Amino acid sequence: MMHADRKSRSTRLVAFALIAIALVGYFTGIQAPMPARHSSVPWSLEDGKAESESMPAGGEGVIPATAYAKMAEVTRRSRRRPEVSLASFRASLAVKSDPLAEIAITPADKQQSLDRRQRNRAFNGAPPTTPHPIDQRSDASCVACHVEGARAASFRIPRMSHRLLTNCAQCHVESNARHLPVTPFGENSFAGLAAPEQGPRAFSGAPPIIPHSTWMRSDCMSCHGYVGEFGIRTTHPWRTNCQQCHAPSAALDQTLLISAPKFLPGPKIIE
Amino acid sequence: MGNGETPAIDVIQRRQFMKATAMAAATAVAGGPPYALPVLADEPADGAEGVEWNKAPCRFCGTGCHVQVGVQGGKVVAVAGDRNAEVNKGLLCVKGYHVGSALYGSDRLTKPLLRDGDGYREISWQEAIKTIADRVEAAPERFAFYGSGQWTIPEGYAAQKFMKGGLANNHIDPNARLCMASAVTGFLATYGVDEPAGCYDDLDACDVLIMWGNNPAEMHPVLFSRVVDRRSRGEQITLIDISTRRTRTTEACQHYLEMRGHGDLAIANGVAHLLIKNGTYDREFVESYCNFKVPDDANPNLHGKPISFDEYKKQLEPYTPEHVEELSGVPADQIRMLGDLFGNPDLKITSLWCMGMNQHTRGTAINTLVHGIHLLSGHFGTPGDAPTSLTGQPSACGTVREVGTLAHTLPGGRVVANEAHRQQTEEFWNLPAGRINATPGFHTVKMWESFCTPTDQGGEIGTIWVQVTNPGQTLPNLNKLFNPKGKRDAGLADKFLIVSDVYPTATTRLADLILPSAMWVEKNGIFGNSERRTQQWFKMVDPPGDARDDCWQTIAVAHELFERGLKGMADRDGRFLFEQKQDDQPVPIWEWEHYYDINVDEGLFEEYRQFTRMKHKDLAPYVEYVNTRGMRWPVVEKDGTWKETRLRFSEGYDPYVEEGRGVQFYHSPTDDDRAQIWFQPWVPPAEVPDEEYPFMLCTGRVLEHWHTGTMTRRIPQLNRAMPGGYLEMNEADAAAHDLENGDQVKIESRRGSLVMPIWIHGRGQPPEGTVFIPFFDETVLVNDLTLDAIDPFSKQPDYKKSAVRIKKVS
Repeated sequence: MMHADRKSRSTRLVAFALIAIALVGYFTGIQAPMPARHSSVPWSLEDGKAESESMPAGGEGVIPATAYAKMAEVTRRSRRRPEVSLASFRASLAVKSDPLAEIAITPADKQQSLDRRQRNRAFNGAPPTTPHPIDQRSDASCVACHVEGARAASFRIPRMSHRLLTNCAQCHVESNARHLPVTPFGENSFAGLAAPEQGPRAFSGAPPIIPHSTWMRSDCMSCHGYVGEFGIRTTHPWRTNCQQCHAPSAALDQTLLISAPKFLPGPKIIE
Repeated sequence: MGNGETPAIDVIQRRQFMKATAMAAATAVAGGPPYALPVLADEPADGAEGVEWNKAPCRFCGTGCHVQVGVQGGKVVAVAGDRNAEVNKGLLCVKGYHVGSALYGSDRLTKPLLRDGDGYREISWQEAIKTIADRVEAAPERFAFYGSGQWTIPEGYAAQKFMKGGLANNHIDPNARLCMASAVTGFLATYGVDEPAGCYDDLDACDVLIMWGNNPAEMHPVLFSRVVDRRSRGEQITLIDISTRRTRTTEACQHYLEMRGHGDLAIANGVAHLLIKNGTYDREFVESYCNFKVPDDANPNLHGKPISFDEYKKQLEPYTPEHVEELSGVPADQIRMLGDLFGNPDLKITSLWCMGMNQHTRGTAINTLVHGIHLLSGHFGTPGDAPTSLTGQPSACGTVREVGTLAHTLPGGRVVANEAHRQQTEEFWNLPAGRINATPGFHTVKMWESFCTPTDQGGEIGTIWVQVTNPGQTLPNLNKLFNPKGKRDAGLADKFLIVSDVYPTATTRLADLILPSAMWVEKNGIFGNSERRTQQWFKMVDPPGDARDDCWQTIAVAHELFERGLKGMADRDGRFLFEQKQDDQPVPIWEWEHYYDINVDEGLFEEYRQFTRMKHKDLAPYVEYVNTRGMRWPVVEKDGTWKETRLRFSEGYDPYVEEGRGVQFYHSPTDDDRAQIWFQPWVPPAEVPDEEYPFMLCTGRVLEHWHTGTMTRRIPQLNRAMPGGYLEMNEADAAAHDLENGDQVKIESRRGSLVMPIWIHGRGQPPEGTVFIPFFDETVLVNDLTLDAIDPFSKQPDYKKSAVRIKKVS
């Protein structure tokens, strides 16, 4: 009995160490290419440029690999980032585990989040582009992080908002290619549909209806939950049956087969 | 910007606009709301305020996804996958999601432009139409029309009628000649009639999916997702990639068969060899439904020579797995694995292919071989058992293959060389007997070679009108077939190039007359996708500036010639060839301001529909397509409703198969309801690497850009993800040449040279000795390097196998 316990404890220790190493590896890799924060950007094609320019210059190579000779230097560099230490990551996991923590969002927070969302999509409803390098051939690395998503002090990994689709780069391309310098080819005056600022309410205090289509956005918590942009988070994350109160809009739902409600004829009034 | 700020006037204008363009026609005929997508018009939710949604097939590839197009204030503002479309079930690829932006590149062509020395002068449409009419009138027999599988069905039909009916001139060919001509000859040689028997539904039912030289993860991503999504749901499916380089598709496959160019011929023969040797071929299927053929070398044609099963068996004897390994580079065990799969009657096997098998100097041969192993093994005719070729353009099937905009064909599977076919066509078009020329015109390569040859040296073609395509980038061996037009000393000063397009391209660069065209939802249209599905859409926004529909351009030129008294532009009763009536009165559709007075598409489509029955590719009336996300032909009326066909030649699915027949190839080239199983020998590629040019160059596409990138490279999200051309090379070769990622290299072939950066371990990974360059970038034209050797039957070039050498540029 004792022997078995010790054995399982050591297995758990090894497993924990492996997971810890893997997590540090992931987030070290993801940390580097995240864009700098901007307070606000206009809704235009310039957004894309703004985002591109904010990207690190690593135009060569794809997933930046480290030569063994440079490993020591890179390790030193990564140690200078307190936010990717396991301790801080564990601390952030602890925050996640408290759904009752109070969330207060200011209009400025919301605007900032909406601005940031706009920066890597052509219109509200377009698949967001990826702000970091991707593996050019395999989707395994996308799935590894984006199925669950995560958040730490200085960065966030969005969660897939739709059912599991695994040919990721079919829709989500790099916002800025790493293998070649970007040479914009002409301009484009496409002005995308803006994200709604809020859903309409029947009266003050009524739950807002969902102001966007839920097609490809069926997991509400991917955007409105802990791993979403702060400014569009739900203020009541402990309630997870979202559509119990927030109705989707028929006007935005392609599956609805009836264009307008039909009724039986009313009582015939005889004059 | 909040939606509350949308000016009310926009909403009113939008409603009026929609009513004027689309609603009226549709509501009148269908008697109800024209679109299945519900829109609560009076009380839109906040998010939808001012946005009108409507259906259209995507502008780009041959998959034929339906999109929902959101229009606000006369502009496309958003796009969503159409959940009611069977093709894509609500999903799109990144090109599809951004297709709306393709309309708004800042350099859209908006005025007709006439060359004046090194520059261009803006001219009126009237002058432009007159200029074309002058060129045609001066030498109608030296005029050629070059179109594409992006022509809508009515556009292609109008061009076809203008050339073959109006000018009695068969010099009309599409860029689809460069794309799927070998698929056509493969179908004809096997079944006697073109286009796949199966459809996309097979992807939901197959146990094994074999991709022959095909990278659908990038080129047909929505179809690829349809298969890999089944895996996510826990289904077992075996994916096999037979390819010359590792791609995204490879990463999702259990088996990767890495072959040398032309290895596919050996692999297919190896599978047939094993089926016979192991006794695992489907004896009953073969005896009931198949004949055997070999090519007739003395008299090469698509009928070949009949042979017995024993002779067929003997021909296959040398193709042992070990011999196939020698020829193809694929290990013998993998050939055996493939042979075992085909030999298992309990599996459902679907084969997909696209450019790998078609852009091949033995394209017809490999197409017949893949059909052959499906027939031999009986993996045919039930859901999931299908040899299916994919197309690259949205209407390669609908317009090119069905309307027949090729140098030798007439609509509905007819050919110019057949007297009865000409007579039927003259009857449908109400033309005097003998109007249609019996001699096929020039196919694409010959047309451009003739155009680039000086008149006094036999270059017969004097004028080419290009619509909806970009031959200055896509023709092979551009230094022979296109670039001479731009050289002052080439003796081509009398040649005249007319190009209708939406943006400046590698082709407009050398044009003498540039015409600005409307695109996609700026006009009405009908496409036909890879799975026989005919899809309709309405105009939703106005084209910019003076841009106008390609179909109108053709009709306007035809009418100008009619006015000048050119006999061909009148039918046998003296009426204009493109006359369309409303309330018994001809509508002057050749005048732009009256073009949308009626639905010209509907008129042309209804006329064209008569042609479709001979080959049992029946189409439904136009209105039936308005209310659906397309239907797969044959569409046959039964009990008052129009029913599409999922599987051709199979009883219970295809209404033209007689009861009790099981499988019936009712257009059999041997007139006995049987399909043909061909033996075709392995032969080497037209050009193979040697000491001087040691690398095999393959060309192709990437996910983000559609073909020559003229539309997708104007879309920031796509252009930023894939900004320019590059050379893919194996790491070992790169090391041997002292090359690193990003280094500039000079690539030379016997035909031209290019300088571009190198990308190792990039999107694809070619094996040692081979390199890959995508063709989307107009600033590094890979077709300066490619070979113009063609398949003897389909006349399709091979873009996948050219020998090159590589040097580092210091």
